[in-house]
Amino acid sequence: MITTVVGNYPKIPDLPAPGKWRTAAERLQKGQIDQAAMREVEDEVTLEAIADQVEAGIDLITDGQIRWDDAQTYFARQLTGFAINGLQRYFDTNIYYREPVAEREVAWTAPMAVRDYEFAHAHSARPVKAVITGPFTLAALSRNQHYANRRTYMQALADALNHELRALQHAGAQVLQIDEPAICRHAQEYDLFADAIQRLLSGISAKTILCMYFGDIGGIYPRVLDLPCDVLGLDFVAGYRNWEILGRAPFSKDLMFGILDARNTRVESVDEVVAAIGKVTAMVPAERLMVSPSAGLEFLPRSVAKRKLQRLVEATRTADGTLQEVRV
Amino acid sequence: MTLPILPTTAVGSYPKPGYLLEARRKYLRKQISKEELTALERRATEEWIRIQEEIGLDLLVDGEQYRGDMVAYFADEMNGFAIAGLVRSYGNRFYPKPVVVGPVGRKSPLTVEWFTYAQSLTSRPVKGMLTGPYTIAEWSFNEYYPTRRALVLELAGAIHDEVVDLERAGARYIQIDEPAIHTRPEEDFELAVEAMEIVTAGTSAYTVSHICYGDVPKIYPAMLRLAVNQLDLALKNEEFGLLDTFRTHAFTKDIGLGVVDAHSHRVETAEEVAGGIRRTLEVIPAQQIYVSPDCGLKTRTIDETVGKLRAIVAAARLIRSELTETGTLGIAEART
Repeated sequence: MITTVVGNYPKIPDLPAPGKWRTAAERLQKGQIDQAAMREVEDEVTLEAIADQVEAGIDLITDGQIRWDDAQTYFARQLTGFAINGLQRYFDTNIYYREPVAEREVAWTAPMAVRDYEFAHAHSARPVKAVITGPFTLAALSRNQHYANRRTYMQALADALNHELRALQHAGAQVLQIDEPAICRHAQEYDLFADAIQRLLSGISAKTILCMYFGDIGGIYPRVLDLPCDVLGLDFVAGYRNWEILGRAPFSKDLMFGILDARNTRVESVDEVVAAIGKVTAMVPAERLMVSPSAGLEFLPRSVAKRKLQRLVEATRTADGTLQEVRV
Repeated sequence: MTLPILPTTAVGSYPKPGYLLEARRKYLRKQISKEELTALERRATEEWIRIQEEIGLDLLVDGEQYRGDMVAYFADEMNGFAIAGLVRSYGNRFYPKPVVVGPVGRKSPLTVEWFTYAQSLTSRPVKGMLTGPYTIAEWSFNEYYPTRRALVLELAGAIHDEVVDLERAGARYIQIDEPAIHTRPEEDFELAVEAMEIVTAGTSAYTVSHICYGDVPKIYPAMLRLAVNQLDLALKNEEFGLLDTFRTHAFTKDIGLGVVDAHSHRVETAEEVAGGIRRTLEVIPAQQIYVSPDCGLKTRTIDETVGKLRAIVAAARLIRSELTETGTLGIAEART
């Protein structure tokens, strides 16, 4: 049983300090520093995010997605074909993102997250996974003004992102995560989703995690087990119905078990988490489990995010010990 | 005081002058006292009242110079909240997200003193300004109440008490901001309706709810059931695209018509603003329209804010004269 995170991490420390990221972002906006200087600050803050995860004892980390303004525009700005529109609410959160608009053919021209992966890999004592936003979510949270229909739009996105996964794989990433929160709200479009994921993962041999949060997979289980990925990342907080849903059919993949609430400051007790892990191992054996928060930790102030990481590790280790005793 | 047809107003916040930003920083570092800070907040409030009078706005706001944030201000002043830390909203905008750690409730009136002060400075009406229970709950972490519903309803009672106190202090217009109301339209809209009924129960003040950022079509026409006289909405943000939504079902309340973009640096021209009002008049009668910015203007510069407000006032005057000339509307029909 290993511990991991979903992805993003707070960019600034707690009050009163503004934090170097925020100070730099303001100075960049005022034209007082250039992009290269901003990138250096992003590297520094990425190192902080890595250090917090490694110190807490997380087994499989991310780079904290410090460079992402949001999960959509980070990719849309780097692909060709997109303009960037005004602010939109990100699902049922108080986070806003700028809406990408596909105005022309969408295409991949150069690596987008490869340098980020390489940087994190070079500076982390623990394995790093690379994360991208999946084609279905990117389509759901953007506007299509170019393609004839959603299917062709999503296929174009899947093909473009497939290039990125190949580039990440080529750069040595052994675990690739595809974030698809939107499918939890659009289960009726499962066929489109499945088609896009098939295209996205063609030619990919690295271990893949399909991560679906902010809801449950009631409308798509057990069909989703047929997709060519190795791990399903599920949210057991907002998607608490997953408890019942997973009982409907044997769970044949590995599970990334999102159990610590990434959207509330209340830090779960070790006992609570241990009990939940005990319960889930009735459906998925411990050796096929990754324990994680329910979503990215950027919803929390940094000190709380760090406490959640520590609690995640503490509880998973305790549960591991308990399970091993049982087996002996 | 009689408001003209197409009264001009604002949504709430205005930018803080440099001296106040500086003072707030010093206060955080404990270099100046609360009294010194308050004195400067009062000075800035008076300046904004004078600016609005000079521009010719009809229904004024206090500019929220004393607030850091529309939720944190209320959380700070109430029982049951702790301040957690900063959470990113978008870009490099962060907000302090409070934490509910115990039973929530008022210790004492939250905004009455500021309302009374602002109203004492002018003969024009000033709006009482509150944040609604759904938004306070939604933009806080809840570590205490078992459900969101329990927290929202408890907050609704507290905000209702504030409405009563504002009215008692002379407020004839009270605005309850609910920008988070469409966060979970399917799951929670009835809860938001129920909460607003509690908030405005029994008041004879004219009530407004400001709603922005999000999928308004999803809660239309259901939003017309909110227990307020006016819904204040951001039309300019999507170039009056919402009018198509209002064509599907009559807009049965008054509308606070957002006619200038609160998040763009460009100052709209009076003619551009007038164009937006004319388009709206094809869908909603003039008697139901208040003219306002899309949202609070605190993220604009002072110059941009003044420019946008001037455009609103000039446009409203232009349209009023057009309506009078064409006989669409007699002076006698002016609102009382």
